[in-house]
Amino acid sequence: MTPLMEADDLAVDYQAPGRRVRALDGVDLTVARGETVGIVGESGSGKSTLGSAIGRLLSQNAQLSHGALTIDGESLFDLSAVQMRRVRREKLGFVFQDPIGSLDPTKRVGAQLRLALRGRGASLDVTGQLERVRLADPRRIARAYPHQLSGGMAQRVAIAMAMATEPELLVADEPTAALDSQVRDDVSTMIFALAAEAGTSILWLSHDLAAVGRRCGRVAVMYGGRVVEDGPASEVLARPAHPYTHALANSAPASAAPGERLQPVPGRPPVLTGPSPGCAFADRCGFAIERCRSERPRPVRIKAQSVLCHRAEELAGSAALAVHGVGSAVATTPPVPLGGDRS
Amino acid sequence: MRLFLWWLRRAVSAVATLAGVSILVFLALRAMPGGFAETILGPFASAEQQRELAERYGLDDSAFVQYWRWLQAAIGGDFGTSMISREPVASELGARLPVTGQLAVMAVLTALFIGVPLGVLTALRARPDGGGALGRLVSGLGVSLPEFVLGSIVVFVFSRYALGLSVGGYVPFADDPAGNLTAMILPAAVLSVFAISATARTTRDAVLNVLVEPYVTAAVARGESPAFIIRHHILRNAATPVVVLLSTITAYLLGGAIIVEYLFNLPGIGSYVVQAVGRRDYAVVQAGVLLAATVFIALNVIADLVVGLIDPRLGVTAEGRSM
Amino acid sequence: MSGARPGDVSGDGTSGGGAPATYPSTSEERRGVRMRIAHLTGWLRRLDWLSRCGLFCLLVLVLAALGSMVNLGGDPAEIAGGRLQPPGPDHWLGTDNLGRSLLPRLLEGIGVTLLLSSIAVLVTAVLSTALGIVAGYLGGMVNNLVMRVVELLYAFPSIVLAILVAAVVGPGRPAAMAAIVLVTIPLMTRLVRTASTSVAQRDYVTSAVVSGVRLPRILIRHVLPNVAGTIAVQGTYALSVGILVEGGLSFLGFGVQPPQASLGVLIQEGGVYMVAAPWLIITPGVVLILAILSINVVGDGLRDRLEPRETRSLR
Repeated sequence: MTPLMEADDLAVDYQAPGRRVRALDGVDLTVARGETVGIVGESGSGKSTLGSAIGRLLSQNAQLSHGALTIDGESLFDLSAVQMRRVRREKLGFVFQDPIGSLDPTKRVGAQLRLALRGRGASLDVTGQLERVRLADPRRIARAYPHQLSGGMAQRVAIAMAMATEPELLVADEPTAALDSQVRDDVSTMIFALAAEAGTSILWLSHDLAAVGRRCGRVAVMYGGRVVEDGPASEVLARPAHPYTHALANSAPASAAPGERLQPVPGRPPVLTGPSPGCAFADRCGFAIERCRSERPRPVRIKAQSVLCHRAEELAGSAALAVHGVGSAVATTPPVPLGGDRS
Repeated sequence: MRLFLWWLRRAVSAVATLAGVSILVFLALRAMPGGFAETILGPFASAEQQRELAERYGLDDSAFVQYWRWLQAAIGGDFGTSMISREPVASELGARLPVTGQLAVMAVLTALFIGVPLGVLTALRARPDGGGALGRLVSGLGVSLPEFVLGSIVVFVFSRYALGLSVGGYVPFADDPAGNLTAMILPAAVLSVFAISATARTTRDAVLNVLVEPYVTAAVARGESPAFIIRHHILRNAATPVVVLLSTITAYLLGGAIIVEYLFNLPGIGSYVVQAVGRRDYAVVQAGVLLAATVFIALNVIADLVVGLIDPRLGVTAEGRSM
Repeated sequence: MSGARPGDVSGDGTSGGGAPATYPSTSEERRGVRMRIAHLTGWLRRLDWLSRCGLFCLLVLVLAALGSMVNLGGDPAEIAGGRLQPPGPDHWLGTDNLGRSLLPRLLEGIGVTLLLSSIAVLVTAVLSTALGIVAGYLGGMVNNLVMRVVELLYAFPSIVLAILVAAVVGPGRPAAMAAIVLVTIPLMTRLVRTASTSVAQRDYVTSAVVSGVRLPRILIRHVLPNVAGTIAVQGTYALSVGILVEGGLSFLGFGVQPPQASLGVLIQEGGVYMVAAPWLIITPGVVLILAILSINVVGDGLRDRLEPRETRSLR
């Protein structure tokens, strides 16, 4: 059976005057029907570009360099504008980061919800749709303008619009990042509940590894425009197989035991101007060797995970990549470079 | 309540600006070379005559008292009498207002119906890679054609070759609609070249700003068609700067169709004021300038009203917008 | 970014290796100048072809204006031939109603118009920058006062304001210059103020204030460089408005006074003899349009560079 979504060696560049930036540098990823996949990465890792590419929503200075992206077997970049609109209407749903900005500021909530529901077989009952996303007093909210709503309310409205048509894949790009921490959990819970009910797959983009790990079945970690580690959430979280995932897990506040010092990932994410010659993480990696800079890593299988790292097997054998607070008895010392020159 | 307060503040500020304008115009009149007495009597008047005049007009009173007297008269519609025609300035301006008004309305409507669609189309066709340079050239050309050059050339072409449209020969619309239109089309067209280009440029800018708003991306992501998105999400959101611009252009045309009226010999306010400056008929200049500024301020307030109807966020973000 | 910001890569020619890091030495100053030149050429390279054409046209006009100072093409006041003669080998652009050759008159007109507008815009730029930065940075009462005055000027349609100025000052060059300044000040001050307001809230300004840097120094060292882009873009637009106002005012007879030529004066004179000698109006008209167009195009190009914008399609 064809996967619902499949990215195959997808590479996307942004072209600015006199300057070219590679945002996706060969992404391989599949999402099966009903699956919930979390994509984790820092800003600049390419996760948002991947999310936009799935809806073909990239800004005009973005160019497909190579690779393919298919939804239900249809190659998105080969579709006509009309066909693409059909895919968006029938198969895809999107929720974005800025909840109030995602709503038209000049239209009442009810009016724009009705516009979004028109002619696609969804129930036109605006109050009912707002109740489904657990908004108290839906009538009042239907009459309100977006700027009169709180971020949480607006995001629920946006979710109602996206989920009303019961899409096959919901792409949620940091949907709770702009919300208060109290509503964050409620909104996430609701999205996953609605999706489970409708049989919708979820692609959840986030920078918060721990939060994603709690909700999604699978986690894919992105760095420098590639998926560097991909596997079951529990495995990736507890036993990261890529040094970057390891660093990320250790920088997350939730993973630290009380009194333990958080370890931020040292250095800054790279800005690629073309295909990375080696591993994009090499400059920030404590385990990098010469080969990491000169040769692009190919996926290797470490237990349940697929990992892009030359030294993955070697590291998996050692205790170097244990996560603090999870397997803390093993490694409380900072990772020591296992050799290789760091000039 | 918030909106009401906003309106109150807007109204107060409009009145304050108007008061400032009147002071400025009043002071300008006093600062005329030679002063008021010489302006009225000419440079060769005797001291006796000057004293008499000063007494008659209260020129020895303080500037504040003079201003107050002048303001009271002006509010009552009395702008003095023209020194050339000996007619009350108010009635002369009133008689010329319809000509200027018709000209402005024709030009603005043209700008609205051609400039706005043009701006939307060019925005949708815009490319990030600096293509569209040709479009920029054309729109740049439109705002770079001064009326006195374009107008002169049009006057030349149409007075030399019989092309069906007349230069000059204005008749009131009520007397001869067809004759009125043949006389007005050319000046209105000359005026509208700038108006169309400015409207198109502003519309293009506004639409480009709206195009990258998240709610447009969200609409695209929902699978809406371009036509649908333009109609339901873009036009209204892009309208604010266009409305403000159109009000500015209207005001500019009402007060400032000066060059075109002069060129095409139309009996409007503009040509009247130009003549007045040439003849040092200052009461007329003063009234004309005051009228232009008043119209400008009034149209600004109207534009704000319209913007308030378009964008419900007004009053919330009023502070950012009002400057 | 590779090579797109030449300031970053121009360190190669630095003289001497041991310049102290903290205080600018002469060699560092020299390097600063060189970097600035490199920066400028980098800017040029990043402008698109249209803006570069605009710059080229402006350059030609400036050269023409300079040429008029050494009477290139002849003495503008000299009666050089017959009246209203069409362009020919003797008089490349023809002659006017008095028999003066148009070419030197045109060069003189370009010079007068450009010089007058540039000086006026320079005055505007200085005043607007000072007012805008102070109002934007200090806010409060100062801001209110400045903005009220600016709004007051803004309430007059430009040509009306220009005519009022001409009526007060009396026709002539001072009137044209004062008119340009008063017409262009409001918009520029507003925009500089808006830009300064946002700069004033940035961290580096706050930290400068906290560390006790004095106000004038903050304004000049921290705020001014960050609003320089706005000033440059608005300056170009103001220049085109200035040329427009000078032209319009001189055309109506309230600006530059004959026998001195300006583009507005030439167009006005040409208009009178349009039927007999159309070249008298066409040439200065085209030159004027070209000047304004070039400036606008350069302004657009600058703006696009400073505020590059995303575009998206609805497909």
